[in-house]
Amino acid sequence: MRWTEGEDEDVGHGRPRTPERLRGRARRTLPLSPPAGRAAGPGGGGPPLAALVPYRGASGGRANLTLGIVAFILFIAIWYLIVFTGIVSERFLPYPGVVIWTMAELLTKESFQTDVQISVARVWGAFLLSVAAAVPIGIWMSSYRIVGALLEPIVDFIRYLPVPALVPLLIIWFGIGEASKVAVLWMGTFFQLVLLIADDAKRIPREFVETGYTLGAKPRQITRSIVLPAMLPTMVDNLRITLGWCWTWIIVAEIVAANSGIGHYIWSMRRFLKTPEVMAGILVVGIIGLLTDQAVRILHRRLFRYL
Amino acid sequence: MTANQPQAFVQIRNVFKEFETAGKGAAPIPVIDGVSMDIQEGEFVVFLGPSGCGKTTLMRIVGGLETATSGEVLLDGEQVAGPDRRKGMVFQAYTSFPWLTVFENIKFGTKYREDIGEAERTRVARHYLKLVDLEDFTDFFVNRISGGMRQRVAIARTLAAAPDILLMDEPFGALDALTRDFLQEQLLEICRAERKAVIFVTHDVEEAVFLADRVFMFSARPARVIEEIDVNGAIGSDRTSDTKETDAFFHLRNHVRDLMRDEAKAVR
Repeated sequence: MRWTEGEDEDVGHGRPRTPERLRGRARRTLPLSPPAGRAAGPGGGGPPLAALVPYRGASGGRANLTLGIVAFILFIAIWYLIVFTGIVSERFLPYPGVVIWTMAELLTKESFQTDVQISVARVWGAFLLSVAAAVPIGIWMSSYRIVGALLEPIVDFIRYLPVPALVPLLIIWFGIGEASKVAVLWMGTFFQLVLLIADDAKRIPREFVETGYTLGAKPRQITRSIVLPAMLPTMVDNLRITLGWCWTWIIVAEIVAANSGIGHYIWSMRRFLKTPEVMAGILVVGIIGLLTDQAVRILHRRLFRYL
Repeated sequence: MTANQPQAFVQIRNVFKEFETAGKGAAPIPVIDGVSMDIQEGEFVVFLGPSGCGKTTLMRIVGGLETATSGEVLLDGEQVAGPDRRKGMVFQAYTSFPWLTVFENIKFGTKYREDIGEAERTRVARHYLKLVDLEDFTDFFVNRISGGMRQRVAIARTLAAAPDILLMDEPFGALDALTRDFLQEQLLEICRAERKAVIFVTHDVEEAVFLADRVFMFSARPARVIEEIDVNGAIGSDRTSDTKETDAFFHLRNHVRDLMRDEAKAVR
């Protein structure tokens, strides 16, 4: 975490100093740092793309975006070439244009929009239920060794049960309605999340907690006013990653037993060997994932301006 | 140090401490080997000793963050049973909270005081913000300021909680020499204004002699007090940046440094 960086602080004799030594920018202007020197070039102020090249170099917003787009273009180009040269028959791998067109058409169809809404609702519903349970229990596990020692082994065990293997069981228990989907997603995320949260809470510096005590706080107050805000940035990151897993499990659940949702759509198109539709469905999941992820990242930056 | 004198503010009575070691049958490691001392109200006491000798552990016992294996610590006649607001602590690691600004960090020190209301909390925070000379950085997040400033924030926050005693565990250990000098002087000024008892842990001889009314020199682990140095008696209680240039300071520092060297040699 950032607050342990300590040693590398340069200090202006204790006198106030303008805080220009913000990450990245300062690094690029430090004369003695070899990677920075190479990045900046002899004249200084090198192109933003070059700054990304050295080992652990600075990252620039514009350059990042450009490279991200380049990767997508390359991906589509290779895909196109594979079909064009006939390495894979068009029957199994349609041209990218066909898939993208199918997806655009699909998104205007009301029945598919409903499928998307249903999947999104299932994912978020189950995810929030999972978070609501995992955050307090995870913090509890890290706060009291007795709770941690009691729960860790069993959580670890359940965590390793393959979720797809649980699907038949969960259908027997919960039927094929919404409850079984939520149960699958919950099983797939809660046990991972609770350990991640416990870890986040455990990783805050011991001195933070001790500072709380010596300022007169009780354990409950330390949890609320010190542990929680201290762990929040890493926790939000972990929530973001876990939310991604939900999308894996929802498609599994919808393929096995459902009559709605994106997973169900993909599976029903497979029956007619409609490869473009199958791929378009998969692509939609990817796009939703990408958009959510970016939204959470932006939120993260807004919420934790101090990082 | 006799029992029928008026009660000292902090009384450390024959404290022993052992650390349990992992593994069955392994002998516990003795860390503190029977330490007793009295500290008066408003007195600045330095625990000096080689690294890892147990001086920090002793201070943490005074703060209630560790318990003694045997012996006891009395604060104002009351046995220390656990950490609380009366025993303020400043750590070597930066403990100012990154999600709060400089001002909010300092005000956090008043958060669990029941003796004052909201308006007074703000006033107290402003007072200590000014005392540590950080008014220009009121609304800065703490990882935008230097290490020396972060330690000043931590000191101000601890003082804002109105502790009876200030415990400082090598607070300037991670700072460069010039910042250290500056903060040492500032700390003395603050202590003069606050008149609180201070226990300051360090392994830096010059820092110890410059800051202390009395220095307790500890042996290598397990810690025993091998010498008590009356710094006020030797160089007076009035310290300025020029103090370090005086002959008296020079002699005392050399004497203490020789003690340290002998002790370090004994370990090897």
